[in-house]
Amino acid sequence: MAKHFQKKGRRILGWDLQDWIKGFFGTNATLSIVILLLICFYLIREAVMFFPSHHQGLTLYRQTGQEFVGHLIEEVDEHAKIVAMTDQAYYRELDEKFGNERGVSDSYEALLEPLEDAGEDFIDALDDEEEGAQEAWDTFATKTLSKVYKKEIDTFNRLDDDSWNALLASMKGWDPLEGDPPAFVEEARAKMKEGMASFELARAEVSAADDQLDSLRGKLVKIASVVREDAKAELTSAARKIALEQGIASTTDPDKKAELEEKLSEVKIMDSFPFAARSTPMAESKDAHKAAAADLKAKLTAGVAKLPAEFASQPAAELIERVRKKTPDVLEELDESVAEAARWRWDKPVGYFDSALQFFFGRDWVTNSSWHDFYGLLPLFTGSVLISCIALAIAVPFSVGAAIYVNRIATRLEQNIIKPVIEMVQAIPSVVLGIFGILVLGEGLREFSQVEALSWIPGFPMQERLNILNAGLLLALMAVPTIFTLCEDALNNVPRSFSEASLALGASRIQTVIKVILPTAISGIFAAILLGLGRVIGETMVVLLVAGNKIAMPDWGAGVGVVAQPTHTMTGIIAQEMGEVADGTLHWRALFLVGLVLFTISLCINVAAQRIIRRLSHL
Amino acid sequence: MNDPSTILESQDVAAPTSGTIIDIDDLSFSYDLGKTNTLRNISLDIPAGKVTAFIGPSGCGKSTLIRCLNRMNDLVDTAKVTSGKISIMGQDIHAPDVDAIELRKHVGMVFQKYNPFPKSIYENVAYGLRVQGIKKKSILDQAVEESLQKSALWSEVKDRLNTSALGLSGGQQQRLCIARTIAVKPQIVLMDEPCSALDPIATARIEELIAELQQDFTIVIVTHNMQQATRVSDRTAFFYLGELVEYDDTQAIFGNPSKKQTEDYVSGRFG
Ligand SMILES: Nc1ncnc2c1ncn2[C@@H]1O[C@H](COP(=O)(O)OP(=O)(O)OP(=O)(O)O)[C@@H](O)[C@H]1O
Ligand SMILES: [Mg+2]
Repeated sequence: MAKHFQKKGRRILGWDLQDWIKGFFGTNATLSIVILLLICFYLIREAVMFFPSHHQGLTLYRQTGQEFVGHLIEEVDEHAKIVAMTDQAYYRELDEKFGNERGVSDSYEALLEPLEDAGEDFIDALDDEEEGAQEAWDTFATKTLSKVYKKEIDTFNRLDDDSWNALLASMKGWDPLEGDPPAFVEEARAKMKEGMASFELARAEVSAADDQLDSLRGKLVKIASVVREDAKAELTSAARKIALEQGIASTTDPDKKAELEEKLSEVKIMDSFPFAARSTPMAESKDAHKAAAADLKAKLTAGVAKLPAEFASQPAAELIERVRKKTPDVLEELDESVAEAARWRWDKPVGYFDSALQFFFGRDWVTNSSWHDFYGLLPLFTGSVLISCIALAIAVPFSVGAAIYVNRIATRLEQNIIKPVIEMVQAIPSVVLGIFGILVLGEGLREFSQVEALSWIPGFPMQERLNILNAGLLLALMAVPTIFTLCEDALNNVPRSFSEASLALGASRIQTVIKVILPTAISGIFAAILLGLGRVIGETMVVLLVAGNKIAMPDWGAGVGVVAQPTHTMTGIIAQEMGEVADGTLHWRALFLVGLVLFTISLCINVAAQRIIRRLSHL
Repeated sequence: MNDPSTILESQDVAAPTSGTIIDIDDLSFSYDLGKTNTLRNISLDIPAGKVTAFIGPSGCGKSTLIRCLNRMNDLVDTAKVTSGKISIMGQDIHAPDVDAIELRKHVGMVFQKYNPFPKSIYENVAYGLRVQGIKKKSILDQAVEESLQKSALWSEVKDRLNTSALGLSGGQQQRLCIARTIAVKPQIVLMDEPCSALDPIATARIEELIAELQQDFTIVIVTHNMQQATRVSDRTAFFYLGELVEYDDTQAIFGNPSKKQTEDYVSGRFG
């Protein structure tokens, strides 16, 4: 039979060109899948192994009695927050009422520096009662005082020119040997002290409320730390013994052998560490804890009640208002904490589920601590989410607006300018953006926030240069190109005939956009936003540089002002700590677990976006 | 704002029921800022209350001209009227104080490819009124029913007004587009090959509809279908390469054309 329809062309190893091309792309695809699976496998394996070790760590934390002491530490910390707020309010009020006096007092201290440092020789001469020493000193002092700049001495610019001159004048005849401040300064100080007396008193009382609790804490921390060290040594000594025995067996050098044997004889292994006995000091402190807490409660309530009700400074009033609001919460938490501490027993087993929860909902992330390492995801997660929300809140209106403008309103020329410019933003390396964020945006924002007239904005004036807002702004910049481009695509996919029909019905361009184009493109826009979110949540460099890297739950009491606080993120922590941890440690696995959480979030976002897009294309 | 109904009333700008409603005078039009003229020196009076058909070979500028009438060509950045003018109801539509949006409320348009919005049937018809700021349900309801009835769609869709317009058949969708256009009560309805995407039965229904709409509107229709032109139109204009070749009563154009080109075209010898 005649042969027909055979494939033509040369064959190499039995494959023709088509087969080879097919094979090449097929291999690539397979390889990507295999690599992805390997990554997933590795990530999951390392991450999951976190849980048993974490559970062990928590068990030890309980057995040593540290868990009990942990409650005290937390209680003292909570109290410290109230003290910090009160102090802040105090200084705000002080500045408002006696800014000038405070300026005099502080500037006086600052003036001493050039006088005493540079004038050391003259002072020595005076001390030795050398001849002409007084004149020499006087000339020196006059010269120095005429050369100082107000800007350098009065750094916060508290003084007006009159007071500044008065201060300088009062320094004439200042006796370096006595060192007493001039009467002018004394007066200012007395005035300050008198005016702030009642506030100062209340402040001191608030601040001292935890004295009893704090000293108990200090005592127990010491004890528990020792227990922890001993227990750890005990746990490692078994492993040490094995290592030493192996060493002895493998060395031939008698000296070294003897040395190792001596070391081996020092290794003591108890059958089990006497946790029960060693943690008794903690168990026996339960009553003292209760008493100290009650003391704190009484004193704090009294102290807060004594805080002034009227303020000259608005921020001070707000801060004290917050103190008043927060105090009952803190006291309530204190009660709960005390009750929980009372339930502590060294031998109560730690639940596996609880230890997992402690990771996902733990509020502390503390590593390399000589006390105890905490691995709590919550502050990092919150930081990531907060920054992402801010980034989206800023990026979405901008990029959707720009997309609408470019797609439906702009002229050709404008399109040709705007589109490449926005897409160019994507080309900025994130490190460069980070530098910009630190040096320009951060500094600029802080300066801007100092403007008196803007102090009503929550979070203003900003204390920190690196904060959530700054990071959010930069990430918004990074998300704009993504959202813009995808949004524009979505708008482009709205058939022209829709807008023509709308316009032909007498609708304006804006009406057309709002009533026809946006509703038609809405799922595409939503997908664009989701993908923008994916980009933002996974971004590392910018947040590492700009977010401030403070691992703590944000202080929600600041309301919207929370954005002025520094934070840390899931991506940032991995980038920051991964390089420094030893393989296979608990810390290392914790970072892998954070990575896994991040991966899961990104995956969900992407899947959701893909689904929306797919549903859209079926329309 | 005003009582919504007055907005509807205001649509009834003294529409002539006879005589010329659109006066195209020596119009030249360019898509490239005057480098080349797509339409050249076209003069044409379109009578009120009649159906006028534009015919001619593909690319001769029928769509361009019809889109000039409601200034849809404004959407093309480089489009420009290079000479002449168009007056509708006596108003030069390119005068500086004329708002294209206002104009389009009086000069509606039905497109070649039916293009209802991806909204419900009701919202499609109500759209033109809604963009004029009419919110009152009773007025909208009435306008929707009236328009759907006029476009012979009411009985087919009255039970599914709130379902998506995209679920209708092609012919129904095109009738819906007509309903949507007439809901704002324009004086003139422009139709650019309204049947070219439809099968013969759907086409017949649209043609019937045009005959009925003629009572209320002045209709300008572009068509490639000679029979359709003879069936529905009173006057016919034949265009060739951007110029108006002949314009006369439909019977005259098809029965006794005065130009050779026209005769060749209508008898199917080219185009
Ligand atoms: N938006 C536009 N921009 C530039 N040139 C255009 C545009 N629209 C149409 N043209 C050109 O103008 C000329 C006339 O086109 P038009 O669409 O008016 O023809 P037509 O008579 O409607 O043809 P058909 O019967 O195929 O619809 C064509 O050469 C076309 O290429
Ligand atoms: Mg056409």
